[in-house]
Amino acid sequence: MKHVKTLNTKRLQNTLKKGGCGECQTSCQSACKTSCTVGNQTCEQSK
Amino acid sequence: MVHQFKNNGYNILLDVSSGAIHVVDDVVYDVVMLWESLNQEEIFDKLKGRYDGEELSEAIEEVAALVKEGELFTKDQYEGYVSDFKKRPTVVKALCLHIAHDCNLACKYCFAEEGEYHGRRALMSFEVGKAALDFLIANSGSRRNLEVDFFGGEPTLNFQVVKDLVAYGREQEKIHNKNFRFTLTTNGVLLNDEIMEFANKEMANVVLSIDGRKEVNDNMRPFRGGQGSYDVIVPKFLKFAESRNQENYYVRGTFTHHNLDFSKDVLHLADLGFKQISVEPVVAKETESYAIKEEDLPRLLEEYDILAAEMAKRKKEGNPFTFFHFMIDLEGGPCVAKRLSGCGSGTEYLAVTPWGDFYPCHQFVGNEDFCMGNVKTGITRTDIRDSFKSCNVYAKEKCRECFARFYCSGGCAANSYNFHGDIHNAYSIGCELEKKRVECAIMLKAAEAFSDSEVK
Repeated sequence: MKHVKTLNTKRLQNTLKKGGCGECQTSCQSACKTSCTVGNQTCEQSK
Repeated sequence: MVHQFKNNGYNILLDVSSGAIHVVDDVVYDVVMLWESLNQEEIFDKLKGRYDGEELSEAIEEVAALVKEGELFTKDQYEGYVSDFKKRPTVVKALCLHIAHDCNLACKYCFAEEGEYHGRRALMSFEVGKAALDFLIANSGSRRNLEVDFFGGEPTLNFQVVKDLVAYGREQEKIHNKNFRFTLTTNGVLLNDEIMEFANKEMANVVLSIDGRKEVNDNMRPFRGGQGSYDVIVPKFLKFAESRNQENYYVRGTFTHHNLDFSKDVLHLADLGFKQISVEPVVAKETESYAIKEEDLPRLLEEYDILAAEMAKRKKEGNPFTFFHFMIDLEGGPCVAKRLSGCGSGTEYLAVTPWGDFYPCHQFVGNEDFCMGNVKTGITRTDIRDSFKSCNVYAKEKCRECFARFYCSGGCAANSYNFHGDIHNAYSIGCELEKKRVECAIMLKAAEAFSDSEVK
């Protein structure tokens, strides 16, 4: 495309089938302890 | 739903439900602005005075192609899915162990009230900690990775118990086919070579508390006698960070109404040599002098922009650092189930007091209404667990139409409770800050994707 540069290929709807294993980090255990930040977590299956 | 915004010279489109992110030129940006209210001919007519006709036609075609491919204006199809997901049996996978309800600092904003959580001073015994680990293993179902944070107060005041619990966990993980990930949160006052060596061997992450510039840190993080802590902790934290190869740690600060120019604190920490930095807004009652106020918001949002632009610049100069709240994983990020179910407090994540009482998270400790049970009895207040379990973005009116809902997952239940007396609400000041952070995080990804020679 000439006018658009897409930054990512992952689509949330594609995680519906395989998602939800629950092995990923609990968000408050990382650094925050006072604010919910989930979008920055890494999927355990993509490691 | 498409969220479009401009930041640091980039025009960005976030397709909320698919997570697709596009950096576009002005013509596409304007076409998308009109897409849901006008048809393609009307859009052409409306914009033809502003753009070249051929260019405009191309832009409209490209937007139409993205819509067709499910990369723009996709529908939110997850509400039923998350309801089903939440019906699954609860497993516990993370504990925050309050190793010491005592502290050697007297930080003015501490939600633990100088470590004591509105109660008496106490240290967790090995027996209580052991029972907590046993509870975690027994209630973790098929989850293999189990997280245990040694928290306080200040956990190094009771470090022998930390060491003994790690040894016990390592023994038990082999027996039960689990993998413990231990973390330590410390103010650094008692850090020494022995603790660092132990932590480097056993702790998957360490969180080192410091607020930034000396005067800022020392104002809010004094010793009980009033002296500042900066000079004591900085050399230790620098040594610790280096000994961990500048990985798997955070220097973690809090900003308040007293340092609204907090980007300077972040940059101060970066200039000291730290590479993993988190500086976060204080959570406090409105009546506190240091609480973030509604009128502080424009300044704070600008500070995030200043910080993000500086980070983009430093990255291009080969001197990058990580800011926790600007981290975003666009390719390997969490699945929809994780994004919609939130932090897990009260369900898969619990805090444990020195006496072995369970609370939904560390921020609820001390509020007896939220005591959920004990390491000996297990969870007896299943109603509290169920209430937290029902908490998701579709249960919160403010979140349903928010573009950031897949990034913050409905926000912090404790913040919501502190400001609204209800965990099913959202803390508005926190929401505005979170939205800006998501925008900045995406802008930084855009900056990475474009070299200077490319047209933005």
